Amino acid sequence: MTPITMVQAIARTIDRALEADDAVVVLGEDVGARGGVFLATDGLQAKYGPARVMDTPLNEGTILGAAVGMAAVGLRPIAEIQFADYIFPGMDQLVSQVATLRYRTAGAFTAPLVIRMPSGGGVRGGLWHSQSPEAHFVQTPGLTVVIPSTPTDAAGLLQSAIALDDPVVMLEPKRLYRAVKEEVPEGHTVPIGRAALRREGADLSLVSYGTSMPEVLRAADELAAVGVSAEVLDLRTVMPWDRDAVLTSVVKTGRLVLVADAPGQASVVSEIAATVCELALDQLLAPPIRVSGYDIPYPYAQDRFYLPSVTRILYAAKQAMDY
Amino acid sequence: MPDPGPDGPIRLIDARGAWLAPDGPPHSDDVLRELLVQMLAIRQMDERFQNLVRTGRVSIMTSAAGHEAAHVGMARALERGRDWLFPYYRDQGLLLAYGVPAREIFGQMLATRADPGLGRQTPTHIVAKHLRVFSMTSPVGSHLPAAAGAAIGLARREPGAAVLASFGDGATATGDFHGALTLAGVERAPVVFVCENNQYAISVPLSRQSASVSIAAKAAAYGMPGVVADGFDVLAVERAVGEALARARAGQGPSLVELDLYRYAPHSSSDDDMRYRTSEAVAARRAEDPVDRFRRYLEGRALWDDARERAALASTGAALDAAIAEADAAGPVAPEAMFDDVFAELPWHLVEQRRRLSYDLD
Repeated sequence: MTPITMVQAIARTIDRALEADDAVVVLGEDVGARGGVFLATDGLQAKYGPARVMDTPLNEGTILGAAVGMAAVGLRPIAEIQFADYIFPGMDQLVSQVATLRYRTAGAFTAPLVIRMPSGGGVRGGLWHSQSPEAHFVQTPGLTVVIPSTPTDAAGLLQSAIALDDPVVMLEPKRLYRAVKEEVPEGHTVPIGRAALRREGADLSLVSYGTSMPEVLRAADELAAVGVSAEVLDLRTVMPWDRDAVLTSVVKTGRLVLVADAPGQASVVSEIAATVCELALDQLLAPPIRVSGYDIPYPYAQDRFYLPSVTRILYAAKQAMDY
Repeated sequence: MPDPGPDGPIRLIDARGAWLAPDGPPHSDDVLRELLVQMLAIRQMDERFQNLVRTGRVSIMTSAAGHEAAHVGMARALERGRDWLFPYYRDQGLLLAYGVPAREIFGQMLATRADPGLGRQTPTHIVAKHLRVFSMTSPVGSHLPAAAGAAIGLARREPGAAVLASFGDGATATGDFHGALTLAGVERAPVVFVCENNQYAISVPLSRQSASVSIAAKAAAYGMPGVVADGFDVLAVERAVGEALARARAGQGPSLVELDLYRYAPHSSSDDDMRYRTSEAVAARRAEDPVDRFRRYLEGRALWDDARERAALASTGAALDAAIAEADAAGPVAPEAMFDDVFAELPWHLVEQRRRLSYDLD
């Protein structure tokens, strides 16, 4: 098996889905001849034709709304939003049409869509090529939200998302698109709602997902070097997040540091911190500590300072250990 | 009145009920009478909706008064079981004429178990998948991209089927209108966009929604034909929409049809239209009433008289009252049911929230 990158794993999974099921269609901006600006649909229009891999006019609301209508007549659309930052012109369609369809029709209609979007910073992309807007989606009842951090998980989560009869937003950390190559087994699925235990440890739980995972794993290495045994959980799904896995780990270690690149206010990591406090306060040796992106628009000049760094994670870990 | 272009609006019967078209009527006498009965039924249903609001059983309703000819004409133009309908929240008359059971319509209004949507939506937001009627949304125009998408899907999977998407004049100002017509034009999708131009988006008149000479004129910018029809003339509506649907089914692409009509009632039962228009202005348009006009036409041909009218009203009125009783008899939706259908499977946080609801139920 040839090792492949995350974006190659995504392209291969979409290719197999198009091959396996006539109902699957891809739509978005530049997904056709261009193969997507990150090449997540590379070569697919040539292989399956413009009716199944469809370039749309430049209108995110139209992409999502059209996908809902396609699903109503039996298709299974995979929609690409070119950057997560561009979901906002499509937000009404996502919130009002996509997310509520099953609910408002009591299941008569469903929206079995996958809505893929490159997200996150660290690529010197500036304000509108760097955001991680997952909190908006988590706040929208009806959306399932997955965020892989490895090629294998990207393929596996996408496979599960395509099979699901509900809309799934898949945020793809663009900084990790080509960061590593690994052997990705064909047909691999990753269950939605299940975290991955990346590293076992006894003293401290580092819970994270997506863009920040490489820093979290490096921080765990450095902690090990100074004798702190850190457990690392990769959530992979942020709605619904894997509460059992987080609680199991926190009960074991008694300390929790949550890391994500999205702004911290009313965020995924805040929700988890609050839940852990509600359910396991008596098991904690230190308060849960959040390391997040700053609550500012994503800056261009300070790109490398925005994301949670290994240093910031280590500082939080020290706070938890010293508490 | 929109500028209908050099050929004038499509109109078969004038405001006095006189036949104008060079050809004869397109239907048998029985069908013509049935069209009037359907318009009368819509007006009766409207009165019942008003009563349900007045008695506090329903929180709000959007009246279809003035839209009767548009609704019956569109329903007649659609091919049931083949075409798809993407309506908006003032289209209850269209749905009734199209064959959505009145029991389901009143079930939706009363939020009982007779509502296929189980009481989750604001009154008049009716869904009927069994008739290929898509779900309505309150954000104006937001169903239009879905209509375009459905048409693109149908062209692939069921060639020969078409989509009708209806909306008010305010919707033409939205980005979704622009996006949907842009996409439909580019894809030559089999969809007919029908604007029920009732001249107001709540209080704001069409002149503040668009400086275009007409809504139909916008079609040119999307590469599709646009026509204006007299929305108070049921047969003109049927012809204009029917011709556009026939083109769509034949693979000749999308169309925009503007139905020039007038909303008699306030925007909703919570609106006060006397803050933005005069009763004289309303009365002036009511003088051309679509129901009266068609009745006069039928009377002129000796197809209709007072006895028939009384019999029709008694029969449809009784059917509507029976439907209200059936909708009531279906009973209320359980409080716990509000957690169903958010997702296919209930996730853990909703399992717990549903449990917390039980504290309120004890």
